[in-house]
Amino acid sequence: MSDNMRNNVRDNMGHMNNQLTQEMRDLARELLASGEVKGLFGWTKGSRWYLTPPVFITKPEEADRLCYDEFAVNNLTGLLLDFRDSQDKIAVFVKGCDSRGIVRLVQDNQLKRENIVVIGVPCPGMGDKGAVTDHRQAQELPLLAKCLECRYPNPVLADRTIGAVTVTTEPSAAPSGATAEAAKGRGVGSKEADRFAQVEAIEKMSPDERYAFWQAQNKKCIRCYACRNICPACNCRECIFDSDKKNWVNKAATPTDNAFFGITRAMHVAGRCVECGECERVCPMDIPIMAMNRKLIGDLNELFGPYDAGVKADEKPPLGAFKLDDPEEFM
Amino acid sequence: MKAFPKDKLTAVLDTLAKQATLWVPAIVAGVSRFAPYGPGREVQLGANTVMSPKEALFPATEKIYEYSAYGIDGEFTPVDPSVGPQILFGLRSCDMQGILCLDDVFLTRGYVDDYYAKKREEATLVTLGCVTPGPDCFCYAMGVNPAEHAASDAQLFDLGDAYGIVARTAKGEALVSALETAGLLSESDKAPLPTGDFVLKVDAEGITEKLQHMFDHPLWDAFSRKCLNCGACAYICPTCHCFDISDKKRNAHCGIKIKCWDTCMYSEYALMAGGHNPRPSKKERVRQRFMHKLRYFPERYGKLQCTGCGRCIAKCPVNLEITDVIQQVREAKIDG
Repeated sequence: MSDNMRNNVRDNMGHMNNQLTQEMRDLARELLASGEVKGLFGWTKGSRWYLTPPVFITKPEEADRLCYDEFAVNNLTGLLLDFRDSQDKIAVFVKGCDSRGIVRLVQDNQLKRENIVVIGVPCPGMGDKGAVTDHRQAQELPLLAKCLECRYPNPVLADRTIGAVTVTTEPSAAPSGATAEAAKGRGVGSKEADRFAQVEAIEKMSPDERYAFWQAQNKKCIRCYACRNICPACNCRECIFDSDKKNWVNKAATPTDNAFFGITRAMHVAGRCVECGECERVCPMDIPIMAMNRKLIGDLNELFGPYDAGVKADEKPPLGAFKLDDPEEFM
Repeated sequence: MKAFPKDKLTAVLDTLAKQATLWVPAIVAGVSRFAPYGPGREVQLGANTVMSPKEALFPATEKIYEYSAYGIDGEFTPVDPSVGPQILFGLRSCDMQGILCLDDVFLTRGYVDDYYAKKREEATLVTLGCVTPGPDCFCYAMGVNPAEHAASDAQLFDLGDAYGIVARTAKGEALVSALETAGLLSESDKAPLPTGDFVLKVDAEGITEKLQHMFDHPLWDAFSRKCLNCGACAYICPTCHCFDISDKKRNAHCGIKIKCWDTCMYSEYALMAGGHNPRPSKKERVRQRFMHKLRYFPERYGKLQCTGCGRCIAKCPVNLEITDVIQQVREAKIDG
């Protein structure tokens, strides 16, 4: 791409982001002023150009803090768990991947659907801040891997939408709404076929190599639980890893105990992982957590037929329901 | 100033590694951290590490003693806290300052933690002056001089094509003379490269005094709304020092007592026997984290417990920046 074209793309994206941000603020103001919701989770501009972190607002005049651009990467749905015992109605902005988190939380009986106002936003694909080379200047960043592999660029459910995005549960639907052209131009979803590439590469390793690979990863884990705490599927009220009283696990951050944590978590979200990729994004130690989740997704697809978690609210997760024709290879 | 050319770095490290366990900033399985130097180690002196060097003196998991207990027959075998001589090479000023904070906690006020004390006593600390502050760095605002740290045993300076080295203590002199004996040092009249501009600006002046009036301020509600209560910030922090003592049981009768990192971010951290939790929600836990760093620690030890290393800012999943907390606390109105 020439410099001119790149500048044009940036200008167009900037213009679009401004429009979306305006729509966001207007809708938030309306929802808060009318009393329809008590609070709202959105994104705001952070201290540098490549940061657009979460924000929670409760007053109409705070709506002007909202902002949307290609750095609004956080899936906000896990933050709703703080309201699971509340009767307050809360609004939340969701991109396509995030919207599956809402389905997850409702299916897991963590949230009452009627207590959440879901606002779908079109997604331009999120920039990888890890690729920032000059933190002083705006620059076009490559997309996050999870956006290149995206299969649900549009919200799978929404009560309201902005930016003319359409709601669809169709996998691999083209990005819709105001950012559609930008998303397509940037390659959102272009590598969806490569979703299992890392799993395949790991499976090709010899057992010893694979063991060494995961041991190196498990050795790195510091048990900070960022992966668990940001995950909309990891929503147990009491997690066994919060207490060593059960004697199944202890606090020692050894490769064995860390592996026990990682594998337990992966198995626990098996069939329920919504592939938002947040666990891997937030891991301070760069552990390829999604490789493990994807391995299980692949296995489930093979055993129970194609299934995408958190897409259809009325569809039971394969491991959360029993069918007479379920495979019983272990019997 | 005595100096060695940058292309002699490997020879310098090889020499030092013969004398002690040499910890260097390196890339280990894709993550930058301090790790023992050895063959194939990918040394990285150009940027601050993701993990702070505290793990060399205060490991994430540490054995305290082994025990066995059969009926009334109980016995325990203490684990020797010594790990032998260690050199921590290439610490930044922020990390050196972090070690001073750990010293305060583990070595002063009437109780000495033997496990920390022994490692600290055996360690030689070699700091490296910063030339290019990272995007999340703000040590200047925490009263730390990025160019050099007076408390280090030996100070390295970036002279462009060489590293200057100045000993500050007897341990540092022993280290410098070892390099001299190995014929690695020569005199240089070059001046250290100056420290570049900081991107992240904040003014922490008076923050402790302001926070003394803000225990019940609504700001804590706002901060906690986006916090995940994960422990990423605490575990990569050079000054966070909380730990929990628990068991690694072999069976019902014997096992190992271990000391593991813990953090006030976790819901179980303040949970008491009987089930009461004085920090029941995210609000109290977030408040504790920032109050401890910016108010309680300065009140107790006379220095801030944040050294401006910026690690928590870089890795916080929700970008809850301590600099932003400081700024908002400064701007906050206090009723009454």
